[in-house]
Amino acid sequence: MTGFIEIALLLAAPLLLAATGELLLERAGSIQIGLEGTMLFGAWVAFAAGRAGLPAWGGLLSAALAGLGAGLLFALFAVVRRADPILVGTVWNLLALGATAFAYRLGAGETGSVLEVATLPRGLVGLPDAVAASFLAPVVLHLWLTRTRAGLRLSAAGENPEALRSLGLSVVAVRSGAAAASGVLGAMGGAVLVLTVSPTFVEGVTAGRGFLALALVVFARWRPLALLPAALLLGGVTALQYRLQAEGFGLPYALFLALPGLVALGALALASARGGAPKALGSPAP
Amino acid sequence: MSDPGAALELNGIRKAFGPVTALDGARLTVRAGELHALLGENGAGKSTLVAIAAGLLRADAGEVRRDGALLPAADARAARRAGIALLPQHDLLVEAATVADNLALLDPAAPPFESAGARRARVARLEERLGLELGPPGARVGELPVGVRQRIAVAGILQADPGVLVLDEPTAVLSPRETSALFRSLRARVATGRAVLLITHRLAEVFEGADRLTLLSRGRTLLEAEVSSTTPEAVGALLLGGAEVSSRSGALRPDPPDGERVPALAVDELLPAGATGPPASLAVPAGAALTLLAVDGNGADLVGSAIAGVRPARGRIRLSGRPVPPGDPRAFRAAGGAFIPADRRAEGLVPGLSLAENLFLRRPPGRFVIDRAALAAAADDRLRRFGVRARGPWAKAGELSGGNQQKLLLARELEPLPRLLVAVHPTRGLDLASSSDVRARLLDAARAGAGVLVVTADPEEALELGAPIRVVYRGALSPPLAATTPLAELGRRMAGLAP
Amino acid sequence: MRPAAVAAVAAGTLAAAALLVLAAGASPADAFVALLRGALGSSAALGETLARSTGLVLTALGAVVAFRAGVLNIGLEGQFLAGAAAAAAAGPLFPDAPLAARAAVLLAAPLAGALQAAPAAWLAERRQVPAVLSTILLNLVAAAGVTWLVRGPLRDPSGDYPQSRALAEAALLPPLAAGSRATAAVLLALLLAAAAAFVLARTPIGLALRAVGEAPRAARAAGLPDVRLRVGAFLSSGALAGLAGGLEVLALTGRLYDPFTAGVGYTGIAAALLGGMSTIGGAASALLFAALGAGSSALQRDAGVPSSLASIVPALAVLALLLARGERRER
Repeated sequence: MTGFIEIALLLAAPLLLAATGELLLERAGSIQIGLEGTMLFGAWVAFAAGRAGLPAWGGLLSAALAGLGAGLLFALFAVVRRADPILVGTVWNLLALGATAFAYRLGAGETGSVLEVATLPRGLVGLPDAVAASFLAPVVLHLWLTRTRAGLRLSAAGENPEALRSLGLSVVAVRSGAAAASGVLGAMGGAVLVLTVSPTFVEGVTAGRGFLALALVVFARWRPLALLPAALLLGGVTALQYRLQAEGFGLPYALFLALPGLVALGALALASARGGAPKALGSPAP
Repeated sequence: MSDPGAALELNGIRKAFGPVTALDGARLTVRAGELHALLGENGAGKSTLVAIAAGLLRADAGEVRRDGALLPAADARAARRAGIALLPQHDLLVEAATVADNLALLDPAAPPFESAGARRARVARLEERLGLELGPPGARVGELPVGVRQRIAVAGILQADPGVLVLDEPTAVLSPRETSALFRSLRARVATGRAVLLITHRLAEVFEGADRLTLLSRGRTLLEAEVSSTTPEAVGALLLGGAEVSSRSGALRPDPPDGERVPALAVDELLPAGATGPPASLAVPAGAALTLLAVDGNGADLVGSAIAGVRPARGRIRLSGRPVPPGDPRAFRAAGGAFIPADRRAEGLVPGLSLAENLFLRRPPGRFVIDRAALAAAADDRLRRFGVRARGPWAKAGELSGGNQQKLLLARELEPLPRLLVAVHPTRGLDLASSSDVRARLLDAARAGAGVLVVTADPEEALELGAPIRVVYRGALSPPLAATTPLAELGRRMAGLAP
Repeated sequence: MRPAAVAAVAAGTLAAAALLVLAAGASPADAFVALLRGALGSSAALGETLARSTGLVLTALGAVVAFRAGVLNIGLEGQFLAGAAAAAAAGPLFPDAPLAARAAVLLAAPLAGALQAAPAAWLAERRQVPAVLSTILLNLVAAAGVTWLVRGPLRDPSGDYPQSRALAEAALLPPLAAGSRATAAVLLALLLAAAAAFVLARTPIGLALRAVGEAPRAARAAGLPDVRLRVGAFLSSGALAGLAGGLEVLALTGRLYDPFTAGVGYTGIAAALLGGMSTIGGAASALLFAALGAGSSALQRDAGVPSSLASIVPALAVLALLLARGERRER
């Protein structure tokens, strides 16, 4: 596996995990713009677990559990109490940034040195299993949404929640479950980031990937399978930049930083006017 | 007190939403094997009552019994298991999903995993069993016509084979012909011993197809009777009783057409965005009214909102001779247009602002700073003259009842007198007294010199307005019909049949 | 909100903060004292609080103006950076004319903020791209822009730390009192807040803005120029955040460096939320958060509690508020 493709896949994996989780949540009718914060939280938990001596998969598992808690907490505010999810998500990022910085400072002290943790081992396909699994996630979601009764109900929660209520089902329960699952996936996305590409933690290590994942969901028009090419595109662009920089042809470092954001903006501008959004996206659960 | 033959029984139901009492000791008894009609003016509590029966709302007091057995309160799942199925007024279907997926969603016996093929087979099975055409299984429900969607929704909830089927205003979006078809299938259903509860405000339908009726008024049960033992007039009188009826009514006698005067509205080849029919051309003379009559979904509302500039469109619109570019509400108003939209809460008023602010939204008194004293005085005056009942000019518009909100809109739109007023479904959701009042004010405006275009789905209202009527079917307008046209002919035209 | 609910929110936030302090190994009492001392304990501390409040009051104001018009401008962070960058670029152009330098900054900074917001406004109205998304992405671009500017075109050749050329000492705003970091900038911010409050509540354009925010379809159907109003609100909020960035340079730092903000854009939104999306409430909350920020370095120094507590507490307060209030839509 050539280095370029490998790097592209490694870069795409965290985006895919986070975007799949967010897509699931938005199809259910809620929205978490604090995805960046959840990813950051997962990254920190994986890092802390590694520093505590757990093997890499232990870090991944810890992050998943932490993400479950984070997702349920989000559900408490945005689904059960029906606060505006955009507002919850906005401060969520602030909270995560501050909380992880707080915890990191307490744990790491004043040292300026870079603390490392063990990375995920290579698996069957030459990549860590978690990375390979992240490419399966959108496929699984697609099958689940289209072929199962639970998936059908979740879609209804995002399109016509009143109808779901009329059937005697709880929209709050469906959306809370989706929030929990998306929390797990988002946190795992952050964990994969720390456990593969950059095996350390710094304040704000996610560097906007959570926001990129949000854009991916819109660009994919809320269809899981479309996430794959979009994430690979972003991962490929970044990998290409790494390769070019190594050979001295790269764009100025700052432009390289701005590139994913610009690409996402461009894609959003070109995508036809917001087609495909779940009708009840962001509305309170009846 | 309870009736042993009752399939569904509600007793002593009390429900308040904050300071507003929706139900005050209401009762309802539906027997097995009967088609029962639930009547009442708007705000009487009908939808609230059936929502409580279906377990979607918790009553403050009272009980719900199914075949004599007490049902747990606010437990929708228990109600479903007990065989109560509700087809609510709003859409039960998921527009973005296919026919097959929607029916799978509504099937209580759907397996956890199901292939696309199995879902398609279900559609075919239902079509055969119920003798209804449900459209292509792979079609997105949102793209199908309203009548088909209604059939899909009914077929969907019939899968549970409910002992008590509750339909909330099912005929509001159906043509007279589709309504008859629906009643036929409902009667066939009750003949098998099941019960059907129908919420409706259309007396004609009740007296044609129902066995018993219950009349709710202001949250109380006024009447429970066999349909055969009473008359539409008697029931109508009870519905109107106690409410103010505007003394101004009576049909408008249109002025003889004056060839010299510029029409208030001249529309040429107007094709609204989303319309699926031919472009429309029509004219409304100044000082006269025109009624567009159509079943929902045939394009009349689209024409109305396109003329008001709220909906983009192609074609030519002229107000008193001045051309108005389509899709531009500001230009429409600058040319002297006024608009009362169908959805007063979402497109008409700003619920969070006060009445005074709503009334003078575009031009409040005062140049750089709002003159609050002048604003309050002007608002007070206008609220009084238009009969809007409220705490005062600073009350929030969202607090008003439906009827008062509509009067508030009229107060905003009718002064200064516009050149053209477009009113879409102006009395939808209003009780009889408010409806009467609204119609009277519309006609007053015409008498004062404005052109008035009314869009309605109620043929009786069209007749009552007394203006020329053009029936819209699939976007095509009929020639102007006199206000003396028989109701049956209107019904046939609305259904697309030869008159 | 009912007083009981307000008390519950405050109590909940304080309790959570106390827990964090305990986790850091300090006593809540000590931490509270250190915080107070750092925020209000001396004229220097007070000056620090006021100095920090300029940026927060203006970004909170920007959030209120946007949100009340129905524009979800989450990009105040990037607009702040744009204003700071413009100030760092324009100021040094007048090394011998301090008044001209100040004028240049006060013009360029809000303009830059508005320009930073403009693409998002265009995308929202013309391509239906949600403002939430586009402004967040633009924040990333702005941050990258700052990284580039301080190492590239604006780079200060003297010194090895990446930062921009400094403005002339004389161009910087003088402190209000000796030894204090507070300048006239905070007065400007508070004045603008009062002006915005008046405009929103008492002028026809303020009424139109509120209508467009509360009921966009009804406002449009009633003939209000909804697109113009929303875009105007969007650009104005960007300008306010840009001004905040410019004042940060003009009053405090004298130059641009990387990273430049400590989440002031997001904290401003939190302040606006806590203040009930009103101009006065937002300004008051901003002052509170500024005090918190000022006290946080004392907190770290004297009580050993990481200063990032100052970012956590505002977020907790807003979350507590959202939990208590439940369903209520600001837009």
